[in-house]
Amino acid sequence: MLRHLSPTIFAVLFTLALLFVIPWLDRYATYLLISVAIAAIGALALNLLTGMCGLINFAQGALMGVGAYTAGNLGNAGWDILAVPAAGFVTAIASLVIGLPALRLRGLYFGVATLAAQFIVDYLFKILEPITHGVSGLPIRQLRVLGIVIQNDRMFATVCVLSLLLAWWAMYRVKNTDLGRSFLVVREGEIVAKGMGIDVAHTKIWAFLISGFFAGIAGALLGFNARLADPEAFTLGLSVDYLAMIIVGGLGSLTGPLLGSLFVTLLPEAIQRVAESFGIASLLSALREFTFGLLIIVFLIFEPRGLSALFRKLMFQRDARNRKKASYLNNSTQQPQGEETK
Amino acid sequence: MKRLFRAATVAAVLLAAAPVKAAEITVCIWGSLTGPDALVNGISYAARDYLEFLNQTKGGIAGHKVRTVLLDGRYKLDEELKNYRRCVDREQAVFVNGWSTGAAKALRDQINQDAVPFITQSGAGELVDPKNLPYMFIPGPTYEQQIIIALRAAAKSGGRRAVILFPDNEYGRGPTGIVRQSGEAEKLGLKLETIEFPFDAQDITAQMLRIKAFDPDLVFVQGSTPQVLVALRDAAKVGLPASKFAGSANSLGPAIPKQLGAAAEGYRALVVFSDFGSQIPAMEQIKQFMKTNEVEKKDVFYMRGWFEGIVMARAIEAAVAKNGGKVPEDIAAFRKSVRNEMVGLKDVDTGGITPPADYSNHQGTTQARVAVIKNGEFVAVGDWFDAR
Repeated sequence: MLRHLSPTIFAVLFTLALLFVIPWLDRYATYLLISVAIAAIGALALNLLTGMCGLINFAQGALMGVGAYTAGNLGNAGWDILAVPAAGFVTAIASLVIGLPALRLRGLYFGVATLAAQFIVDYLFKILEPITHGVSGLPIRQLRVLGIVIQNDRMFATVCVLSLLLAWWAMYRVKNTDLGRSFLVVREGEIVAKGMGIDVAHTKIWAFLISGFFAGIAGALLGFNARLADPEAFTLGLSVDYLAMIIVGGLGSLTGPLLGSLFVTLLPEAIQRVAESFGIASLLSALREFTFGLLIIVFLIFEPRGLSALFRKLMFQRDARNRKKASYLNNSTQQPQGEETK
Repeated sequence: MKRLFRAATVAAVLLAAAPVKAAEITVCIWGSLTGPDALVNGISYAARDYLEFLNQTKGGIAGHKVRTVLLDGRYKLDEELKNYRRCVDREQAVFVNGWSTGAAKALRDQINQDAVPFITQSGAGELVDPKNLPYMFIPGPTYEQQIIIALRAAAKSGGRRAVILFPDNEYGRGPTGIVRQSGEAEKLGLKLETIEFPFDAQDITAQMLRIKAFDPDLVFVQGSTPQVLVALRDAAKVGLPASKFAGSANSLGPAIPKQLGAAAEGYRALVVFSDFGSQIPAMEQIKQFMKTNEVEKKDVFYMRGWFEGIVMARAIEAAVAKNGGKVPEDIAAFRKSVRNEMVGLKDVDTGGITPPADYSNHQGTTQARVAVIKNGEFVAVGDWFDAR
């Protein structure tokens, strides 16, 4: 039945189901949900740039940091929920600045330029003390929505899940516009895109702006969640985590970043819980990163198109099985009639 | 639609495991079991081991078994924030023993809101604020207090010039700035110079040349064992002897004499907690525990964790005694009572790991003495200095 629903209605129903579940979750589970939702927004943003437009970005951590610091400062200044979209706009501009070399560089060369940007921004977080509070980190007040203080994890989870729905819906809409289709053509080949009359520079600029905006939203939520914007939280490691999410989830698809963020955020947790139930938590703690890395490698070898492709394959097999079962049942109900006629 | 709600129900059941009963004594500990500062994770293992030791020898605290939960914070802020929620909500811990400065700062409002006693491994002075952070405790002197102890020791031995060498992170910049602004060095008659270096630098020869030109009597390295290793190696290159260098209690790592050999002879570090293997009553307990259990680390950080186990157990024991020997049913009341008893701890015998501890100041102890590397080993020398 779900297959017949439009993706938007499905997303809304899924969000409603999540919102329905939140009041029953304890704080720990709620925190996991928050982590997944924020990671999914960040992964959707990076997926637009890297998965859809083919521009490798190693500065996602830095961009999210820009979002966190902007939202932190504006939130502390009493900007209410407006601090979140404002963080998106500021990060979109930062993203555009980082992306300007993309107009002249391609592929790995552009990737290296974003890597340099990651280190520069990381350094700026440490030295721009009036804005960032330097290495001590910027303490952030609780998020306010229309004057209401979001003072517990369940309320914050609701904000994050709704933000994720909006981010996903915006990406879905973008993907189905001419601009979205231009992203895909630019990814496949800039010369082909030019030949088709697509303004490549214009397309890339839009990719940076949209991706940066949602990276800023994710960063803002991350800042309000941690209540601290700390330079150590927005390092290259975070950028690599996000690249892992979109690769594991499946580049270019809209379900990929969601599945990837779920996998990357919850797999270490699952490993920890399994280890605890077998009484080998201390041993597996040391092996957790190793196990995590190993699982990703195994996954990429056996399903390089990501979890979304695996998911589709499983659904297809299930459908095929159901069709086979249905046709068998139809045949078996018709068979006796045939025998009677014999 | 059915499938959607089935999935949501399954997710809810999986995620929303029932919390444990409040009438249990649960202590939750997290540390960097893995991660960049795993070198000092003996603290977390030892705090757990002490509570296990009580379970095995005394049937727990006041006859009630203690359930300890040990988690890995990986020195990552989001991981530590996640652990905190698990400890406070799902595990219903009466005492939480956490890790980093960043996490303690990020959680300070929530700790107040949850009213749960919390020990952080941070030595940041801003976390010692009994009025605004009544549930926050640290074990021992703050970073800035440790620098002041070293400066006092240098002044007492006739020193006239001192350098603080610090990394460009909060751990380095924060305490150095506070000491510089306090004017303590000038009061002691010391001329003070402060020199910064990149936290992950593998060569600081340039900084060493600056130090050599200043000709100090003391160079205090506000870093941990890895930074001290780099500093002493490069000091030797420019002809600065290790005997001019001193470091905080976090740089008392056995790796220093082991890796640098003769180049480390004379290096001094502050001792807040007695070293593993010292002839003290607490060590006898540890040896007894080791007869039937494996211990993960055998260093001074393990002793610090054992100390933390002792003070947590004492506070919990006093709270249980106040409730007629029963574990309070109401976890909120239990936590509040444990916090009050923690603040009331005075002259606590820590088995010789530290001088008698007093938690009315939320620090336990503010004393330290100096250990010097002699013949490849740290040897404690001189008197205890109090930085209060």
